[in-house]
Amino acid sequence: MRVQRVSGELGDPAASGWSSVEGESVALTPVPLDAQPTEYIRVKWAGLPYGNVKEAKVAAASDGSRLYVRLEWADSAEKNAEFADAAAVYFPAGADAPAGTMGSADASANLWYWQANLADAKSFVASGPGVFRQRGSNGVGASSSNENGGWAVVLSGDLADAKSGGKLGVAVWDGSNEERAGIGAATASWVTLEIE
Amino acid sequence: MTQVMQPETGPQGQVAMVIDLNKCMGCQTCSVACKVLWTREEGEEHQWWMTVNTQPGKGAPKDWETMGGGLRDGKPVAGHQPTRAEFGGGWDFNYQEVFYGGKGNKTHLRPIDPGDGTTQWGMNWDEDQGGGEWPNAYYFYLPRLCNHCTRPVCAEACPTGAMYKRREDGIVLRNEDECQGFRFCAEACPYKKIYFNYEKNISQHCIMCFPRLEEGVAPACARQCPGRLMFVGELDDKTGPIHKLVNEWGVALPLHPEYGTGSNIFYVPPLAPYKLNDDMSINYETPRIPPEYLESLFGPKVHQALATIQSELDRVREGGSSEILETLIVYKWLDLFGPFTADPAQLDRKPESVAVRFTQKSG
Ligand code: SF4
Ligand code: SF4
Repeated sequence: MRVQRVSGELGDPAASGWSSVEGESVALTPVPLDAQPTEYIRVKWAGLPYGNVKEAKVAAASDGSRLYVRLEWADSAEKNAEFADAAAVYFPAGADAPAGTMGSADASANLWYWQANLADAKSFVASGPGVFRQRGSNGVGASSSNENGGWAVVLSGDLADAKSGGKLGVAVWDGSNEERAGIGAATASWVTLEIE
Repeated sequence: MTQVMQPETGPQGQVAMVIDLNKCMGCQTCSVACKVLWTREEGEEHQWWMTVNTQPGKGAPKDWETMGGGLRDGKPVAGHQPTRAEFGGGWDFNYQEVFYGGKGNKTHLRPIDPGDGTTQWGMNWDEDQGGGEWPNAYYFYLPRLCNHCTRPVCAEACPTGAMYKRREDGIVLRNEDECQGFRFCAEACPYKKIYFNYEKNISQHCIMCFPRLEEGVAPACARQCPGRLMFVGELDDKTGPIHKLVNEWGVALPLHPEYGTGSNIFYVPPLAPYKLNDDMSINYETPRIPPEYLESLFGPKVHQALATIQSELDRVREGGSSEILETLIVYKWLDLFGPFTADPAQLDRKPESVAVRFTQKSG
């Protein structure tokens, strides 16, 4: 995927800068049950459907120092009073980090996280599905809009996170299905970035 | 697989409690003491880390005993995360309307219904309904807090490693900076003693007043209870009342031992008056609280526990003495608290030491 360098505004999903950026559709698959980090989660979700969001439209652009990733996906109309929709983009922190499980215990990923009911985006070190540890605020930001039965979210952060591995993963959680942590949908393999 | 953080070395211990249900009068001093101390902030309105419910009853959260979690044959059991509505409570009231609305006595104080079901339940909602029919109606009160389980399935379920069991005293805690509000802990806990803070997006539960324990002060619930019935101490202290009541005499039992997590809160089960026959004569054969109901709460050992207490009572009534009863009577209030007898009012506390953040000291 091309990461265009754009001079216009990119901070929110409707910002003018996005008009010139080509997105591409990325397939998402359920994060494997046997990779879930605790036995409780594996027992609870065995046989239950999750990873409801099957694809997301992904576009990426930068202003030279900050990377902006715009995600768009169709959201189920159902709402859940307890759990909110969420999305993340993540980058391998080391060479061998697996994409489909959001990193692993010995090869982590840097993950930028947005959740619909939270004011601020979060920056995590991900060492597996939902194995998230806070990584300071790290300047990660998010902006979102919910229109026409779908979400559009822009996650942004330091371009250096993306440059080190040159590839990106995407995860989406359907809150109406109580998806959270490792129970969600993610890209099974990395999306290679061509950063301008 | 799980990332339960705890130091690998150092002294190991387990703080435990014994709660004598024969003495609990349901006054809610314990629950309010806890509320005032720990859950007064925004997002904690509905949280009662200590609940006192009438038994039999649906409990708090509503029907919690049907929500799963815990262990069977050592394996986790899927559980339900109690909803905000199932906890209920935490209401705003129509103070404005009552005091300044100019409606006189045409209105009265009532919770404002946010339309999410939370005004339809609350802690001890079914107070004093109990079971049985007149003249053999019965009920008792059951104070419940986190059991600081020997096998904390809550912590084992957590993917982020935010929860841990302290080695030195067995208290189960959560690093609130690392909690991401995923709530697998709340599902996995069979006692449903974990609450969600919707403001902070974190889970929260009873911390056994660890900052008090560290200063030699008993937990607020135990110290404020006017009934002299909540023992606090080290479970393995062979000279202390808890070890004797639990391990020596077998008169204090965990709630729902079949949940498999190894609760460290133990209960002296309630004796009850005998049943009355139709002609109002006493039926000495039948206790008023059905033994099978007590067995459903405390397991099959409840029968022996009750028989022991009854025979001790009988012996004392015949002029004998009983160490068990002497222990349960608690002549001296401070005998309840093991090593935690310090008076918080006498501690030299600087203002800044009062604010507690539930994060780990290091790491
Ligand atoms: S009672 Fe629940 S929250 Fe407390 S330690 Fe046991 S499983 Fe964990
Ligand atoms: S303060 Fe003591 S007597 Fe009152 S409800 Fe709590 S345990 Fe029972």
